Amino acid sequence: MSTDNFLELRGLKKYFDVGRPSLFSRKSRDLHAVDGVTFTLRRSEVIALVGESGCGKSTLALLLMGLEDPTEGTVTYEGRDITHLDDRQRKDLRRKIQMVFQDPYESLNPTQTIEEIVTEPLIVHGFANTADRDQRVKKAMEDSGLKPAEVYLHRYPHELSGGQRQRVVIAAALVLEPEIILADEPVSMLDVSIRAEIINLLAELRITRQIAVIFITHDLGSVGFFADRVAVMYLGRIVEIGTMLEVLEKPQHPYTKALISVIPVPNPRLRRERIILQGETPNPIDIPSGCRFHPRCPVALATCKASDPPLVTLSKTHQASCLLLVQ
Amino acid sequence: MNRTRAFLKKTAWALFTIIFVIILNFFLFRVLPGDPARAGIRDPRLKKEAIEMLRVRFGLDKPVINCFESLNPIQVGSCAVNPFDTQFFIYVRNLVQGELGISYHTNRPVTDILAERLWNTVLLIGAGQILSIIFGVALGVFAAWKARTSIDYLAVGSSLVAWSLPTFWLGIILLFWGSGHGFPLAGKATPGMSSMPLLQQWGDIARHMFLPTLTYTIVYMGEYTLIMRSSLMDVLSEDYILTAKAKGLNAFQILKDHALKNAMLPLVTVIAINLGFTVAGAIQIEAVFSWPGLGSAIYEAVVRRDFPVLQGAFLLIAVAVILANLIADLTYNFLDPRVQTE
Amino acid sequence: MESTIQPSEQNQLLSRFSGFWQSFKKNRSGLIGLGMLVIILIMAIFAPLIAPYASSSTSSAGLSDIYNPPSAAHWFGTDDAGQDVFSNFIFGARVSLTVGFFAAFISIIIGGIFGLVAGFFGGRWENFIMRFTDIFLVIPDLPLMVVIVALTKPSLLNIIFVIGLLGWTTTARVVRSQTLAVKSRKFVLRARAIGAGKGHIVTRHILPLVMPILVVQAVLVVSLAILNESALSFIGLGDPTALSWGQMLNYAFGRGAMSTGAWWALVVPGFGIVWVVLGLTLLGQGLEKVLNPRLETHHLMPGRPSVQSEAGWDVAKKGTLLEVQNLSINYVNEGQLPARAVENVSFTLKEGELIGLVGESGCGKTTLMLSLLRLLPAAGQIVNGRVFFNGKDLVTLGDEELNDVRWKGISIVFQGAMNALNPVRTIGEQIAESITQHLPGFPKENIDGRVIELLDLVGIAADHKDHFAHQYSGGMRQRAMIAMALACNPQVIIADEPTTALDVMIQAQILELLDNLRKKLGLAIIFVTHDLGVVAEMCDKVLVMYGGVTAEYADVDIIYNNPKHPYTQELLKAFPDLTKPKKKLASIPGYPPRLEALPAGCRFAPRCPSAFPRCHTEQPMLHDLGNEHIASCHLLEASK
Repeated sequence: MSTDNFLELRGLKKYFDVGRPSLFSRKSRDLHAVDGVTFTLRRSEVIALVGESGCGKSTLALLLMGLEDPTEGTVTYEGRDITHLDDRQRKDLRRKIQMVFQDPYESLNPTQTIEEIVTEPLIVHGFANTADRDQRVKKAMEDSGLKPAEVYLHRYPHELSGGQRQRVVIAAALVLEPEIILADEPVSMLDVSIRAEIINLLAELRITRQIAVIFITHDLGSVGFFADRVAVMYLGRIVEIGTMLEVLEKPQHPYTKALISVIPVPNPRLRRERIILQGETPNPIDIPSGCRFHPRCPVALATCKASDPPLVTLSKTHQASCLLLVQ
Repeated sequence: MNRTRAFLKKTAWALFTIIFVIILNFFLFRVLPGDPARAGIRDPRLKKEAIEMLRVRFGLDKPVINCFESLNPIQVGSCAVNPFDTQFFIYVRNLVQGELGISYHTNRPVTDILAERLWNTVLLIGAGQILSIIFGVALGVFAAWKARTSIDYLAVGSSLVAWSLPTFWLGIILLFWGSGHGFPLAGKATPGMSSMPLLQQWGDIARHMFLPTLTYTIVYMGEYTLIMRSSLMDVLSEDYILTAKAKGLNAFQILKDHALKNAMLPLVTVIAINLGFTVAGAIQIEAVFSWPGLGSAIYEAVVRRDFPVLQGAFLLIAVAVILANLIADLTYNFLDPRVQTE
Repeated sequence: MESTIQPSEQNQLLSRFSGFWQSFKKNRSGLIGLGMLVIILIMAIFAPLIAPYASSSTSSAGLSDIYNPPSAAHWFGTDDAGQDVFSNFIFGARVSLTVGFFAAFISIIIGGIFGLVAGFFGGRWENFIMRFTDIFLVIPDLPLMVVIVALTKPSLLNIIFVIGLLGWTTTARVVRSQTLAVKSRKFVLRARAIGAGKGHIVTRHILPLVMPILVVQAVLVVSLAILNESALSFIGLGDPTALSWGQMLNYAFGRGAMSTGAWWALVVPGFGIVWVVLGLTLLGQGLEKVLNPRLETHHLMPGRPSVQSEAGWDVAKKGTLLEVQNLSINYVNEGQLPARAVENVSFTLKEGELIGLVGESGCGKTTLMLSLLRLLPAAGQIVNGRVFFNGKDLVTLGDEELNDVRWKGISIVFQGAMNALNPVRTIGEQIAESITQHLPGFPKENIDGRVIELLDLVGIAADHKDHFAHQYSGGMRQRAMIAMALACNPQVIIADEPTTALDVMIQAQILELLDNLRKKLGLAIIFVTHDLGVVAEMCDKVLVMYGGVTAEYADVDIIYNNPKHPYTQELLKAFPDLTKPKKKLASIPGYPPRLEALPAGCRFAPRCPSAFPRCHTEQPMLHDLGNEHIASCHLLEASK
């Protein structure tokens, strides 16, 4: 099994034109949603993309799905450049990369039955043989924990609970036997007691079906045992990337450190000193000069304002972009 | 900044719509077959000279819009001298000078006829609009406040019935009733009233206005009641009303300080969109009560096939509605802080 | 599509329709409207059988037949031509309905296509179509119809086309906005991600959700078309050969019905128009209500009176600020059994204490909080219990006295401050309002200063005072909400999921702010949340709720390190702990109970790993385990 070159992002950028700020200005402005993201995904690996709203993680997902066209940079899949494909070329690829959305109430069409929802991808991809189709639907549903499938086939989404709905979404993704699942905050709308279920389901799939998972979340706490690697994003960039233990136990970027420090620990005996960053994430239209984190950084130096730090390699797997690490 | 931009944009758009209406108005009367002036010149009984005379009188000897028709040797005419000497540009030029043609029926300038009638219509619509808004809003607020009580059901039910009434029919019924109760049946003033003292004249006009205004108020009040009720229901189920309640405000304070303005804002838009509809009501009411306004001008023009008056009245009404719509739209922008600053 | 799925699709269509009919049946006004229309349709279809006279019996009319009053021969009298008004009324229905339906059909097709194309394809298409629609929306349509019909022949066909071609604008707008709304929903994005083409998305995802709106719109457009036809006919532009109701009125009004007092010739045709239009309107309203159900309740509707049993409560304990005793709340909806949303919950709050109220969605925590100040929605009813605040029972307190306690004694920081702040009043005004409401003696000239001071306290610069909520960021809105809650120096603040929708860092900022304020001002706080981590970081005591009942109530350290209720134990295992990153998360099988289908015994029993038969039949009591530790579980009976 090749581990390299499975999915590779290089300098990926996406700017949105947000128009002119006023009637009298000439220049139209850009929103820098994703501003130079580079990482590779290995086969059946779980990578967590962590960041607050506005950090570009959702846009990044849309870029990977080909639902938005990148402004710059490349995406390669098994060595093949897939950055700018037309709809027909992308169609085959769509079978390999599937997506799970945040809100299972919104991501299911209320007028379709579960059977219609899970069968739909097969119809779209021209699976004409109905016996084979039913077989695949049944397997996908049972692999997603909707057992026995017959009980659910003729129900409508509103008859299911939140967790079951999310399983339907996962089944509709699995039915095409993808190699990558992009999960955009798949548990944040669910109750605490059933979040683990969905996370465990995804963790199982990567073992049973060799599926790689890109897990997008704002909650560093939930990536724990599940992710192999963690990438922390801030204002359209990855500021730190490393294995799960490296990032959670030895964070190097001040932003990562702060994020980790504010995650509440469910034990009153472990109340810790929190690093609370003041202010809010600047809007991605006016990106600060130099290091984009410097206005909120508790340890910023005078030079941070001027120079944009590169990703510094700390170990074979661990990189972070901070001037303090350069020196 | 954005407010100015929105203002300019909306104004420009209204101007564009007016230009569109002017062009539409021109072509409707040229393309559609009904105008007797043009029907007349096709009459086989007329002599050639008579036809030519009629053509010149109605300006039909000129090319319609531009000189491409002048490629046709017969059509050259004066167009070769002046490219703007076509029917369309003459129409536009006359329009700019306030000339809308001569009435077939009375031989008076259409502009004069419409000018004296415009204010009567404005008076009727204005009074009717104000009354229906006041009563409609009040009833709607009351119905929403007392939602799901018998008062509410009664208000909604009667509003639905009022909404379903054909305006002219309600007018007829009220006229029938009014005739038995000593109300004047037609017109704006009793003949000979102009020699009476001013106060008595006004009283006379008010008596004439009563039934038309009542008709208008009943028909439009129903709609305003329904809209106000549903808008207020929405607002009153918002979280900020719960906040106000938690703050210890009583129901009256909450309605006054937190609900009414928010609920009135959608109504402003509806009133704006409704203006065209309102005019439709005015035409019917004026026709029934012979109220000397633009609506009855249209009615009479249809009956008498007096097309210059019809054309002029349509144009005037359309432009007035577009402008009133613009004003309502701009008012909304001014009232809602969410639009002001973005 | 494939023939094999057709039968099942037909079944589904059938089942969808029968489901629709089930809910439509309950809508009285919709049914009345439908009935009115069915009657008139039957009348129109079978007109020759019903009408006492043929439609054109003019030949025999003499002068003596004109405007005869109602009689046995002519139930509704005769008209200006000596014809039977009743017969003409029945045949007139055919004409009026034909014009209405065909004109509306044209409008709906044009408007539907325009709206769908504009909404779905967007960009230039949308711009062009919507500009075009806007123009026709402001041009008054009746005058335009009058002009066009006057210039063409007033035939029925012309009238149908003119009304149809000018009546599509509102449909286009409605369909466009619905299309846009559907298109922005995530399932359409998901279909795109699967690789579905535009045709597939339109037919499978957009149309099924646009269709219902289009049907409602169609009903409205038919009624407008009928009204327009009657107005045109009345003005004298009707088809003289087809006697519609409007045409009948035109003849009667123009030919002396008024002066002869022939009210029947005027009333009967108009009644037909009102009947049809009212029927359509009621039907449209009924359909709308079924397709887009609204609760039809609001916060100013009077709530249900509280009930208290005489037994089972004590007088307020000394030294407590707030004491809740055996509080139970039901939701009462007509025709349904009351839903027991909260049952028998007790807790106390001392000065400066911070209690955490934890539970999953639907566990009744928000209901419980709202009931403390009697802010429940109209269906909510306190069916037992006391809420003592400074010795006064808030459940039975008079309305005016209660308004004094609200905000001045207990204030609330609501979840999602965007909706909890009035969008058209400035933040400053809203803070000042609570001061003027509760501190009437407060000097007017100092109010501004106090507002600035409060904003400063929560870290908002004074120049934001006159801004509106939409100009604030999410975190700032929550800060403003806190400033407002502090305005009257309350003793207790209820914070209902104050950080739920916020980013991690903003969440930390707000929590720190609340914690600091509590220390600085000696506030007691009830903190409602689903986040166990936040509770562990901040709270002194914790009340864990499940399905409307108390699962466990204890000191924060006991809850986390020595929990007795299986639900608390399982919930902790399911909660990720950053300090143990390699630990696999355990999940609780099943789902929280729905209020309308509560289990018979212990509400947690269906999901409980240690449940035994008794748990499924008998609700456990609250067991006092000493040290103010309470838990409700049958397993604890033995240990007592």
